Parts: sequence; C-alpha cells; structure tokens
Amino acid sequence: MRFSQQKNMQSYILKASMTASLVLSTSVYAQDWKSTLAGVKDGQILPSYQAFSNSGEKLSKSIDALCLSPSSTALSTSKDLFAKNVDDWQKIQWLNFGPVTYFMRYYAFQYWPDKKGVTQRQLRSLKKDPDSMDQPKFWKSASIAVRGLTAIESLLYRKDFDPVAKPADCHLLKSIAQHHAETTQSVYTQWTNSTVSDWVYLEEGSSESAEKLAMEQVIQQWLEHMSVVKDAKLETPIGYKGKAKPKFAEFYRSSLSLDSMRTNLESYQALYHSGNPSLFAVALEQNPENANALDEQLIKNQELVNDLPSQYFSKTLSQEQKVELARPLVASISQSQKLLTKVVTNLGFQIGFNSRDGD
Amino acid sequence: MLDRRDFLKSCLLKGGALSIAALPTWQTAFASMTQGSELYVSAFSRQDKTLERSYYLGVFDAQGKMLWESKLLNRAHAPVVHPVHSIVGIIARRPGYYMDFFELTSGERLKRIAPLKDHHFYGHAIFNKTGDRLISQENHYTSGKGRIVIRSWPDAEVIAEYDSNGIGPHESVLMDENTLVIANGGLKTHPDHDRDILNLETMAPNVTYLSLDTGSVVHSVDNGKGKHQLSIRHLDVNAQGVVALGFQYKGEKWDEVPLVGISNLNSSSIEYLPMPEQIRLRFKQYCGSVCFDKSGQILAVSSPRGGLVAYWNMQDHSFLGADNCRDVCGVSQTDRPGVLMLTGGTGKQWISDPIKSNIYQINQHVGISWDNHLEKINPRRFS
Repeated sequence: MRFSQQKNMQSYILKASMTASLVLSTSVYAQDWKSTLAGVKDGQILPSYQAFSNSGEKLSKSIDALCLSPSSTALSTSKDLFAKNVDDWQKIQWLNFGPVTYFMRYYAFQYWPDKKGVTQRQLRSLKKDPDSMDQPKFWKSASIAVRGLTAIESLLYRKDFDPVAKPADCHLLKSIAQHHAETTQSVYTQWTNSTVSDWVYLEEGSSESAEKLAMEQVIQQWLEHMSVVKDAKLETPIGYKGKAKPKFAEFYRSSLSLDSMRTNLESYQALYHSGNPSLFAVALEQNPENANALDEQLIKNQELVNDLPSQYFSKTLSQEQKVELARPLVASISQSQKLLTKVVTNLGFQIGFNSRDGD
Repeated sequence: MLDRRDFLKSCLLKGGALSIAALPTWQTAFASMTQGSELYVSAFSRQDKTLERSYYLGVFDAQGKMLWESKLLNRAHAPVVHPVHSIVGIIARRPGYYMDFFELTSGERLKRIAPLKDHHFYGHAIFNKTGDRLISQENHYTSGKGRIVIRSWPDAEVIAEYDSNGIGPHESVLMDENTLVIANGGLKTHPDHDRDILNLETMAPNVTYLSLDTGSVVHSVDNGKGKHQLSIRHLDVNAQGVVALGFQYKGEKWDEVPLVGISNLNSSSIEYLPMPEQIRLRFKQYCGSVCFDKSGQILAVSSPRGGLVAYWNMQDHSFLGADNCRDVCGVSQTDRPGVLMLTGGTGKQWISDPIKSNIYQINQHVGISWDNHLEKINPRRFS
C-alpha cells in the first residue's frame, strides 16, 4: 500500500471512530479543553519525550561501548542509534514550551542552524582538554552549542573528528552523549510530574481556563513549527528565494534532513488527532469542511515529502531542480498553516496578532 | 452654506494660520466626547469569519469604552496626537504609504499625507511641541538611507529633510524643542522585498540625537561590537532626559543579549537594564512598546511574543516585575503617576500599577485586536 493510501485509510478510520463520539465531545468541549489537552500530553508529549529519553540513553551507552572498544562496527551502531534519537526528537520538536524552555534546553538539544560554526569551534577547544568536561561544574556553564545532538553529530560524522582512533574525541563524545541523555530524562520526568497548563503564564483575573490557554500555546507552537519546516528546513538550504545554503540544512552531515522533515509532518497529523475529543473531532463538529480540509492537507504534506527523492538535499540535484520539486510542498505547508489558523480561530482561539506579526 | 465638516475641511485644505486657529482644541473635543479626563488612541483590526482583517483607528476612554473609530486603508502602526487641536493621526505600517489625520469633534478625515517620492513611512511620526511641524521617519528605499522629514502643519509642505544618521529610523521622540532622538533600527529593507532584511550581517543600529534646526548630529551611541544585530526600535524620553530603548534582536534565538537600555545626551554607551534571566528568555528577543509613566520614574516595556509587560524603577534602575498579558503590545501613561494603560491583540485593555503589583482588566472588545502602539491624549499637558 502506498504511503498516501495508508494515511488516507488511517484518516478515514479516525474520522469514522471520532464521528461516533461527537455527542460526548461537544459537551466536553463546551466546558473547557481539559480532555483534549490531557490527550495531547498523554498521546504525544509524554510518549515522545519518553522515547527521546530512552533512545538518548541507548545512544549514550553505545558511545560508552564505542570508547571502551573502538571499532568501525561500534561506530556504525552509535550512528544508527543517533539517527533513532534524532527521529524521536523530530516527533516532539514542534513543542518549544514547558520544561524544555528552562536553561535553554530546547536549543541545547539541537543547536541549529549553526550559522557561524560555533559547535565546531568549541569542540576543537574542548578537545585540547577533554578532562575538563568531567568536572562537576562543567555543565553548569557549558555552552548550549556543545550539549546535544548537533555536537554529537559533529563528533560522529565530521572528518576532523575520529572517535575510533582518537580517545580524546571519544571522551568528548561520551561526555556530551551522557549529558544529553540526562537532560532528555530530566525533561521527560518534569512532564511526568506536571500538566500542560502548569506551564502557562496566567493573566491576573482572567476568566479563561488554564487548559484553554495551554491548548492555545500548543496550537501556537504547532503553527510556528510549520514555518520552521517550510522556511528553515526546506526553503533556506535549497535557495528557494535566493542563494542556496546547503550547510544550513538540518542534520546534513548525517543525511537526516529529509527524514527529519518527514517525521515532523507525520507528527502534525498525530497531534491533530490526539485526545478524546481531539482537536480534529471538535473542529469536525464545528465546521466539517474546514476540519476535513486541514486533515487532508496534513496528509498531502506527508505525501509530498515522500515524493521527494531520497537524495534530495545532496549535491546530485541542481538548485533549480530542488526548487521545482519543493514548490508543491511549500504551497501545501502554507495552506496547512492557513487552514489550521482558520480552524482554531473559528473554535475561539486567539493565536496572536501582535505576537506573530509586529514591527 | 458650509456645514461644520465642510468648514473644517476647507480650513485644513487651505492651510494657513487663520484656519488652524479656527480648529477645535482638545478641550472642546473632550467636552463633546467624554466626562472624564483621559482619552486614548490606537489602531486596531477586526477579523471576519473568513479571517480577513479590516483596519481602523479608534479612540477610547479611561474605562476602555470605544468612543470613535474610522476605517483605514490598510494596517497601520502608531498613532500621533496634535498637541493643541483635536486631531489624531495614524501612520501606515512599514512599508507605509499614508498618514491619515482626523478631527475628532467632526470625526472626519481631514488630511492624507503621502511619503516623498521613492520613500515610505516606518509607522511612527510626531508633532513638535507647538503643533506647527510634523516629523516623520522615512526610508529612501532606492538608497536605503534613513530620512527625517519635517513638514509644516497643516499644509504638509516639506520644509526640511535630514539624514537620520543611520538605516531604518523607526521611532523618534522629542527630548526638547530642538532635539529629536531617533531609534535607527539598522534594518535595510526595500518594498520590492516586502519586509525582508537585506543587511543582516552589516546592520548598524544606533540612537541619534539630532538638531532639528540644522539637521546635525548632536550625539549618537550604539550597542557596540558584537551586538550589531540588536535593532534599536522603540524609545521614550522622560523629563530628566533619560531615553529608554527597546530592542529587537535579529540574531539567533538562543543568544544572550540585553533587550532594554537607557541613554542620554552625555552617555558614551548604552546602559542595559537588568532583568531576571527567566524574564529575558520570555521576551523572545523582542520588545514592542517602550513607555515611561507620567512621573517618568517607572519604565514599561512590552513583549507581545512573551505575553508580558516588564517594569523598571528609574530611580535605581532596578527591575520591578512583570505582568502576564497575552499578545500585549500597546503601553501608555495615564493621568496617575505609576499607573499605565495596556492594550493587546485579544482586544483587552488593562490598567497596571507595577509599584503595587496590581493589574486589572478594564474591558475587552470581542473580535478586535489592538495594534502595536497606544497613545494617550492629554489636554492638560497641552493647554
């Protein structure tokens, strides 16, 4: 079954099952967004951070093993686990809200785009004295450029690092992977012990429920991330509007740029259908045409990203070819943003006027 | 026979001292519009079911009640208030091509001013203290140079045109009758490229103190090396000559940069005001409005992206605290020292007293989004 057909079938099943519970959904929605929000947390946020933490731990252990017994096989295993950890990150990358915002952990997980090569410079500097990373105080003041996936990717993939042959490089890699695993665990634990609405800054005397405001934050994050995927992940590296900047592509050293976008676009539809009632179910009742249009657009995004050749971000295609291939996806993501805005505005969310377009 | 509206229009269209003298003053306008002593003006928008927005200028009272509104051509940015006569203006948002002026006792639009050829407005303008000069910031987009354009009021003849001493002069304030303080934001843009920044790597924002008599630079300060992407966008000045500055950082989201500073005519550098790191992070590298309270001792800076307004005590430059207000941007002084009026994109209007840590919502206009900047009309100040 083609991917698009599979997704259409999933969507059909979801729609059918959700329609059956719409009467219940209405009454829940009428009160607040508590059930939907709980579903987003339990269905998306928590499992995604758990998976991110688990694969981060596995990655760290594999790097421990690599440093104990360096070999190309061990390196290959670590690279595979790195790809898994990146994929888990992409499932929840849309959410720059809550525990991940503390101590700039969102940007520490992925220091991107590293336009000035800061990670590389700092890794070179650390390489001169890797033992400094073992000091208890080191991570209290360490730069976010050397804390997470961007630094790990550099050490695993850049030619000027060789964790198999150079113990100092492996020492760096091991320390960073361990810190990264601990941080992912910490964020997951904080989500385990809190609700989404705990992370909302409430207005004094506001009559809106914390749950509705939290749901609004979730939607804002989703909308902003759509711009990141369209602009930073796709348009900028290929030169959609100007000069191509291939090194601004996400995880280009590990060739994970396209896979990352694919996972992002899948996560959007999962988010739309999270909770009972889901945002989709509530929207379907309020305005079936808009709700379905958004759902179909989210499916189309996934179809279009899958239509891109596997080597899309490599040098095998010219800038013109890349731009031509990107046009349908760029248009589809833009349309998704418009539809999502329409759907949630009609549901009473105020997703930002000054905050989204100031001067 | 001329009715009042026609008379007012003819007064302004003809220009000249006699016709200006015939225009109603703010005292007349207040008497006809409100029993209170406070009026506020701001651009706003309404969104219909298809999510299309239409744009307006509105005047409301101290209770947040809308008293007057007029539809605009397209999205505007900041209002401007005449110091003597009952005239409010609004400047189109960057790249802006109109300034509209309304007389409030008639409610009529009396004047529309276009930018100079090959120029556009930046969204802000001010009258001089006597109200016979209108000062606007403009972008000469073929050269990219920032311009300060002085027009006579009300005939809108350009009587002086000065270099702003930088690129992207966004907002300016009058320090005294002859000294204009300009926030040169540093961003080079061209209408052919919408609002895209064309000089991200080379931008050089500064604060310039300009002589209005001669157009010469009296003083200028910037953020120094390493902070060239810290765009200086909005500012206010208090009676002590302290100029408060709000920045918008165009570098990376994770860079640790100061976001609020102060300067004066003698300062060799910008002094950055302290704030807790967690608040600084919430600003998301973006300041909206910058405003002193009536006493000039309390500074308020809004961040719509962070959904907050932060306050400082200017006596010791200490951080006072912050209010959580979704999509807030408009900040204005009120008649009461220490008390500020706030407006947001959710249609809410708040009164905040940061010394007492007290904020309350006075009204909410459903379906309305208050746009970036809010201005108080104060007849006492001008009488």
